[in-house]
Amino acid sequence: MIAAIVAQLGEWTAPVIDWHALAPELILVVGINLVLFIDLNIGEARKWAMATLTGFVLLAAFVPVVTLAVIGDASREMFDGRYVVDHYALILKAIFLLVAYVVVLMSQNELEEGGYYQGEFYVLMLCSVLGMVMMASSRDLVSIFVALELLSIPAYMMAAWRKRDVRSNEAGVKYYLLGVFASAVLLYGMSFLYGTTGSTKLVEIGEVLASGDLIAMQVVAIAFVIAGLAFKVSAVPFHSWAPDTYEGAPTPVTAFFSVASKAAGFVALMSLIFLAFPTATGVYQPLIWVLAVLTMTVGNVMALRQTNIVRMLAYSSVSQGGFILMPLAVAGTGDASQSAVRAVIVYLLIYAFMNLGAFAVVIAVSRKTRSGEITSFGGLFGYAPGMAAVMTIFMASLAGIPPLGGWIAKFNVFKTVIDAGSGAAYALAVIAAVNTVIAAAYYMRVLRQVWMMPAPDGDITPLATPAPVTAALGITAIGTLVLGVLPGLVLRFGDLQDLTGALGR
Amino acid sequence: MSLFLRDYLTVVWFGLAAVLLAGLLLGVSAAIRPSRPSYDKQIAYESGVDPVGMGWSQSQIRYYVFALLFVIFDVEAVFIFPWAANIERYGVFGLVVMLAFIVLLLDGLVYAWKRGLLRWV
Repeated sequence: MIAAIVAQLGEWTAPVIDWHALAPELILVVGINLVLFIDLNIGEARKWAMATLTGFVLLAAFVPVVTLAVIGDASREMFDGRYVVDHYALILKAIFLLVAYVVVLMSQNELEEGGYYQGEFYVLMLCSVLGMVMMASSRDLVSIFVALELLSIPAYMMAAWRKRDVRSNEAGVKYYLLGVFASAVLLYGMSFLYGTTGSTKLVEIGEVLASGDLIAMQVVAIAFVIAGLAFKVSAVPFHSWAPDTYEGAPTPVTAFFSVASKAAGFVALMSLIFLAFPTATGVYQPLIWVLAVLTMTVGNVMALRQTNIVRMLAYSSVSQGGFILMPLAVAGTGDASQSAVRAVIVYLLIYAFMNLGAFAVVIAVSRKTRSGEITSFGGLFGYAPGMAAVMTIFMASLAGIPPLGGWIAKFNVFKTVIDAGSGAAYALAVIAAVNTVIAAAYYMRVLRQVWMMPAPDGDITPLATPAPVTAALGITAIGTLVLGVLPGLVLRFGDLQDLTGALGR
Repeated sequence: MSLFLRDYLTVVWFGLAAVLLAGLLLGVSAAIRPSRPSYDKQIAYESGVDPVGMGWSQSQIRYYVFALLFVIFDVEAVFIFPWAANIERYGVFGLVVMLAFIVLLLDGLVYAWKRGLLRWV
């Protein structure tokens, strides 16, 4: 019987592999092995070298991304269009590698001083980054799912990295259980999509969905797929894991989750919406509209009440997720489909800079104060004016104050929503505007501590910030400032106007 | 908007059907089965070994490590058997890809070996 099936399959030809396009992934795979084996063979005294090596692996993986961008082909397709390297994928790969590099800088001292398993940590982080880099190119349900698991499973372990700390264990277990639940919901929806359209390739699913009215199973499938990914981007009402996981996990890992993992979820959401569901606007738009409104409102209102800085940043990142969802809620209406992808990508890039920066300040300050309370930032201006200045940049940028990056990001999002020009879009813009004002309140509360309050314990010895953390602060502060002053850098970035074309529509 | 409500009505029906089905299965079996609980039936494993000690017993962590290591070979087998059945069809390309796959899986084994996890005690 097997022989008969094989005979039907016909001649098999090896897929053509574009080695240049796959180079970032291949370099990461080689780098993962390198870090793993070198870590196994060196003594405890030289483990610090692992962070440096990981940094070099990430920079090496960045090189082919740059060369591919310089060559500037519209797109390179492999495996029958299931794995595509185009401008969209390259920009996202660059964001992921950059975020990972900054997180390595932030985690180096934390891991060394805690005596945690350094080599293993970087191996897992590189695996997670590999999944994200793959996600940017995936154009097929199966490869999206594989990339999602590859980026999530190491993340579950990284959340529980301080294994003797009960809170960190709780963070890992919560993230794991809810993440697995979300994966199951996502797979359930994907199985319906495959069952009703007969293909796992996003473009083909899109063609089948466009060919007629949606049947009930397809509506359920789209709702389930979006709900599954809403867990990953911690959209309300699927956000309940986020604050506890963010608080319990080591701070650099929290920075990694709140920026990179979240961005990967948005990438999957964008690929699905623009390639597989572009005609199902009646199904995905209202669902994402509701998610976006709930996410930004609940995130903001909860953030107002927090006294712990990491929990506050956790809820703030939930509410920022709501802003990133906004363009997707109008992605199929009027002129908005042109600018929605650009708005999301620009927001993800700027959000990466400012949020990582805020976490870097928290790491630098809590090294001295050994506290996570917002009040522990009191007197920062007195004993560390430089740190107070960069904290002001990040908080003001997160709040969306004009000369900084966060303003450009929010401006783009609002512009896209207004472009859509429908009643629902205007309502969304008004709700978002109110939320921006609410958000400013809790960001400013931190700044009030930094600039006006005295140090809570009267300890005004200067901060001893290690060089890697200073480097991370420098990169993120410069990124936030430059993108705010020269927004043209990102607005012409890869001519994202062409993106919907490059995505195969 | 009515289109939206009609679309999502299917999602609601779907959820209701799931709840109804589970309720029906549990309800019917609860209604028709005889219920005569006794001490012997309530202990764990009705027809197995009698439980000894408390619920919070400690077990040897090494079993867990070996179970995880078993997964390496298990996953390997799942992918290698279909490939081996058609080894000629996939030619040199298939061989190289499969070797890369095996090397990546062996990473896990080498890691466990170097960390001393393969030694009992």
